Amino acid sequence: MKQHPLCTDCEQNAGVLDLPVPEGLKREWVALETRRRFLGRSGKVLGWAAMASLFGEAVPRGNASGDTKNGSATPDHDALKLPHFAPKAKRAIYLFMSGGPAQMDLLDYKPNLAALFNKDIPDSVRGSQQLTGMTAGQAHFPIAPSHWGFKRYGQSETWVSDLLPYTARMVDELTIIKSTNTDAINHEPAIMLMNTGNMNAGKPCLGSWLSYGLGSMNDNLPTFIVLQTKVNAKENNQPVSSRLWSSGFLSSEFAGIGLRSGGDPVLYLADPDGVDREVRRKMLDAVEQINKQTLEEIGDPETNARIAQYEMAYRMQASVPELVDLSKEPQSTWDLYGPDAKVPGTFAYNCLLARRMAERGVRFTQVYKRGWDMHDNVTGMMPLLCSETDRACFALVTDLKRRGLLDDTLVIWAGEFGRTVYSQGGLTAANYGRDHHPRCFTTWMTGGGVRPGLTYGETDDYSYNVVKDPVHVRDFNATILHCLGIDHNKFTYKFQGLDQKLTGPTPASVVNGILA
Amino acid sequence: MEMKSAGRVFGRFLPTSAATRALWICAAVASAVLLLLPETVRLDGTRHADWLQFVGRFHPLAVHIPIGLIVLVPVLEIAGLFRPVLREAASFVLGLAVAACLGTLVLGYLLAYGSGDTGVTVTRHVWGGIALVIGLMLCLLARSSWSTGAKKYSYPVLLTGVLFALLWTAHQGGTLTHGSAYLTEYMPAPLKRLSLFNNAAAARDANSFYGRQIHPIFDANCVACHGASKMQGGLRLDSYELLMKGGKDGRVVIPGNAQRSVLLERITLPADNKHFMPAEGRPPLKPDEVARIRAWIEQGASPASRTVAGVVIEEQPKEAPPEPVGDYSALMPEIHQMAQSQGAKLLVVSAKPSDGLILNTVDAPANFGDAQLARFQKFASYIVEANLARTSLTDASFETLSRFTHLRALHLEGTAVTGNGLAKLTSLTHLTYLNLSETKVDSAAIVPLTSMRNLRHVYLFDTPAQPATAGDTHTAERSAQ
Repeated sequence: MKQHPLCTDCEQNAGVLDLPVPEGLKREWVALETRRRFLGRSGKVLGWAAMASLFGEAVPRGNASGDTKNGSATPDHDALKLPHFAPKAKRAIYLFMSGGPAQMDLLDYKPNLAALFNKDIPDSVRGSQQLTGMTAGQAHFPIAPSHWGFKRYGQSETWVSDLLPYTARMVDELTIIKSTNTDAINHEPAIMLMNTGNMNAGKPCLGSWLSYGLGSMNDNLPTFIVLQTKVNAKENNQPVSSRLWSSGFLSSEFAGIGLRSGGDPVLYLADPDGVDREVRRKMLDAVEQINKQTLEEIGDPETNARIAQYEMAYRMQASVPELVDLSKEPQSTWDLYGPDAKVPGTFAYNCLLARRMAERGVRFTQVYKRGWDMHDNVTGMMPLLCSETDRACFALVTDLKRRGLLDDTLVIWAGEFGRTVYSQGGLTAANYGRDHHPRCFTTWMTGGGVRPGLTYGETDDYSYNVVKDPVHVRDFNATILHCLGIDHNKFTYKFQGLDQKLTGPTPASVVNGILA
Repeated sequence: MEMKSAGRVFGRFLPTSAATRALWICAAVASAVLLLLPETVRLDGTRHADWLQFVGRFHPLAVHIPIGLIVLVPVLEIAGLFRPVLREAASFVLGLAVAACLGTLVLGYLLAYGSGDTGVTVTRHVWGGIALVIGLMLCLLARSSWSTGAKKYSYPVLLTGVLFALLWTAHQGGTLTHGSAYLTEYMPAPLKRLSLFNNAAAARDANSFYGRQIHPIFDANCVACHGASKMQGGLRLDSYELLMKGGKDGRVVIPGNAQRSVLLERITLPADNKHFMPAEGRPPLKPDEVARIRAWIEQGASPASRTVAGVVIEEQPKEAPPEPVGDYSALMPEIHQMAQSQGAKLLVVSAKPSDGLILNTVDAPANFGDAQLARFQKFASYIVEANLARTSLTDASFETLSRFTHLRALHLEGTAVTGNGLAKLTSLTHLTYLNLSETKVDSAAIVPLTSMRNLRHVYLFDTPAQPATAGDTHTAERSAQ
């Protein structure tokens, strides 16, 4: 054995018997190493091994090397022992309403408010809550009842605003949660909390956790895809960027892959003129070799992620054009989604893509729609936003259902917070504004794992505080994980000395009341 | 039986000196008294004076003293081989054990008599206790001749017998306090399979209102005291026949008359009433449970009827848990190899092998067809879901699929199947989901499927059976009923 150059001990192969201990003791040690002792110890080892196999959980034996053929650095999913239990949903589609939709104008009907028009919201309701800088200086907090009427729909007799005629047709499919609440009052921390379980950037988002934990069902498409809806300049758009689908401390191959809302869905995906598949393959093989050298020299696992992403891009060259080719969609699709769906980048188009991704085994699709941040001109903006989203949401759910995909797909509709019942700025008979409101907001889910036709949780008469069955963002995320077969407490990743998890260190609980 | 064996033992150890003879006579008298105890003071299922129970309830505490002492005896005897002084102690400890055991037996008997406990397990436990006291007394007597070397085997044999009796009696006692499933509930699966404690499920119509709604209430709240192991008041509620038979004081359920049914009366008394059930501070039944029992009795208390008018069960009856599949762990290398060679993957449903595998062809090459599917037959018994959408499968595959007997969900959307031979799938008794969307299947082809009891979701979107039209959102969905 070669001695380490830094070793100052000149004696080679020093063993325990070379230590300065009494000779008698050494003889005793040697005498202890008898055949009988060896056999006895072997017997004990066998006993422990037998006991370990008896008490341990049976785990399918996997190939520990991972799928080396594709150059993927994906963890061994057998070793993660996921899903923890048989899931109701295999995939999820998350319709993210960025900006914070006003719950009392859509699904949280408050009939008493009409009589309180322009009256100040009682202090007892508002309590000691700190408001945003935008309304904290207001002398009055006049109650602004919803401008729109509500009617009951479906067998569940759920109240739905006239703004959502299509959503109204599918209320019996939905699990509406009126008591969702969050800790953050401003967009950035709230949207981070909703997506990653933490207000600060740097944590992996829900999609990355799922991608890491559950793995891919289709090697030719990313496990986690993000679709952004084209910005409508008339709306008040809050920034949405890749930090929301970042993989945080997980390997970057679990980050969401964003498809562009206009032009080529993925830039430079098509090979340039004169470069065919063969040439591209050769180039990638050469790059991979260089990358592997780098990996050996430096040992940064991110290099593995890079190799995997190049390979994914190569496969996406074939799979993405097929994914976004809507020419074979039957007429019934266009009848259902409406004419918007033919325009790339619209919310309806993205919903249709989300359905196509569900068919192709994409684990998690997140569709972002911005513009719900209505600090003023609610009566002007609300019909616009609803016309962009209402029919598409209905079409997506209906389409999944008729194709038999809703049984194992979870669809989630949520923003980052709600809006205040009192008007921001001037309140007139015709118009009002609404500020951010974290204490309660309305979300819905449908599909695999949740009970349809259910309204869960209640808010007070002002849609200001939760009075029954609160669902914190943590609980919301724990419930989503549960539907996908994951126990949020067991699904952890060691980072910075902590067992990190999506729901964070504060205890969270699955909302059993909404489970099917 | 106890008498006979005791007599035989007496015969063998005929005492010699006068002092030992007196001891033998004492022991014989004590044994006789104990053996006659269950006959003279009968456990008749009636409650007796409260103070009996008050004292008796110290039995579960006191019982640990004789257990500890009895176990200590062989320890001391064996240790005595090396340190003779310990052997002296053994005799003393044995004496203590006799006294403690006798005291505990009395406490236990007071408990059973006071609270009116009866039942197989109670009886066994009582007899076990009596046998232990007698056995210990014999040990004590036999020990003196053993220690002098006169009789070599009698004492060790007796002591071993006492230890086994202790084990058995303690187990009966544990069953009384913790229930019979306590030990085996979390037993590792391999042990469980070997276990002799498999309880056969009671035969009852699992689909009747009684089986689905009433029996589970009794099972969860009443059977601990009114069951096979403990039948207080002579009443057992662990089967329909025994429920209708009633208890010591007669019938507890009068079909059609909830007012006069004692059972309903006892569960609807104010919780602080002496006769309120469940007794002993256990939580009362929930209002909807009481309502269900009331309605069931009012409408004839039938064991077979499926519905009871006026009772809306909020909760849907729990679906029977899916049939577990075998453990495929050993096949894992082959499963990975299949994915490489065939393109189609076998994904695990969950970390539990018994949940099965999913055959997933979503990223398989376009030529995945009947021949490729046939290669997965080897894994057929582990596959619970087959996603074969948009493959090159044809009607020829129905034959292969009919052998995937554990299938619960089958995706065939967008394939070339026409429904010819679809009837072969009727052998898939666990199938609940069948997707035939975007195929050429017509309504005539799916007629045979109507005989499949578990099949709940059949999707036929965009087929001749259900042409795609705007706004048409219906699936051919039917309930299991």
